[in-house]
Amino acid sequence: MLVIGSREFSQAPPGPFPDPEFTRHNYLTPFPPLLSSLSRPRRRRLSRSGMQSLARSALRPALRARTFASSATRAQAAAVEKQPLLKEFKIYRWNPDEPEKKPTLQSYTIDLNQCGPMVLDALIKIKNEIDPTLTFRRSCREGICGSCAMNINGQNTLACLCRIDRNASKDSKIYPLPHMYIVKDLVPDLTLFYKQYKSIEPYLKNDNPPEKGEFLQSQEDRKKLDGLYECILCACCSTSCPSYWWNQDEYLGPATLMAAYRWIADSRDAYGAQRKERLQNEMSMYRCHTIFNCARTCPKGLNPAAAIAKIKLELAAD
Amino acid sequence: MSPARKLSGLQRDVLALYRRALRMVRTKPPVVQPKFRLFVRYTFHAQARAVSPRNISAIEHLLRRGRNQLEMYEQSQVRDCWVSKQMRDWEEREKATTALRQ
Repeated sequence: MLVIGSREFSQAPPGPFPDPEFTRHNYLTPFPPLLSSLSRPRRRRLSRSGMQSLARSALRPALRARTFASSATRAQAAAVEKQPLLKEFKIYRWNPDEPEKKPTLQSYTIDLNQCGPMVLDALIKIKNEIDPTLTFRRSCREGICGSCAMNINGQNTLACLCRIDRNASKDSKIYPLPHMYIVKDLVPDLTLFYKQYKSIEPYLKNDNPPEKGEFLQSQEDRKKLDGLYECILCACCSTSCPSYWWNQDEYLGPATLMAAYRWIADSRDAYGAQRKERLQNEMSMYRCHTIFNCARTCPKGLNPAAAIAKIKLELAAD
Repeated sequence: MSPARKLSGLQRDVLALYRRALRMVRTKPPVVQPKFRLFVRYTFHAQARAVSPRNISAIEHLLRRGRNQLEMYEQSQVRDCWVSKQMRDWEEREKATTALRQ
């Protein structure tokens, strides 16, 4: 509701003690109440009568001045200056337009007190204020898109879910996902990863759809998909797996295998046998040696290794 | 040409990609084939000149990028491509030099 911008500040009364005239004026003038502070029936009544006039009056500068003066924002206006907390970030840089140059670690120092809490905030701050050529993927900034997967201090995570270590004496190292071809700076080439995902046919396959309406599923059957369907395909797990590092071309990797199991386990899918048949070879799945790096690194707290173990069990039972 | 030189694996990869790209040109409609051919030739020549033959990692990167790009151009939905003035100029110069040699 409250917008603290330069304009609002310019309308605020000068000095820490407001002008008595100003305050009295504010308290006594009968302003239309703000919409959000109204109870619902009141709001409905208002909207029926004079919504537009209210909207117009809400834009009046005097009202904005009042909201400012009578709120807690006043106290915040004179913010306490925090000591700058300078932290060094070392970020992997490589530019494909200069293929002659080798990749380097570039160092940036930023003030953590002028920055959001997550590593992604720091990256955005660096890109905005220090070096606009820094390249990384990001989108949702809340761990649901999986774009900002990278290797932070030796661990694959999403930059938007990884807090900055407040210990300023230690630098923070940021690399792209390991053992992937790099497009630029922190952007890995995920073409193969997506191709592998496509190869398992990640969609419902059933030749006998119900005559009318949708597929029905019991609650127990639905529960089998919990812990599988949440995967956002950030590729953190696959790129943390040594088996995947050495056999990317043939081994599918934990993320893809978990997606495969998600469709094998689905009660509505009729092609489970064929799906399993396709994994029945040396490389596709049995390259998993239960290293568990995938479960340890998953930023969504899922367990691909358990899903792979379940596929192995089902294949062994066949 | 001198008797066949033994090519390194990387050189063969690059030539194979070039060959595949030139084959891609032939699958396009005849009207736009010259444009595609110029695009392929210019891209290969310009990038070959930009990279030292010893910089293997850079060449491998360009190869990977080229394969991805070519995969897209090979789709039948791609029916035309854009040719920049730079490419046309390069073609003119190339024609002039070959004419001089003859």
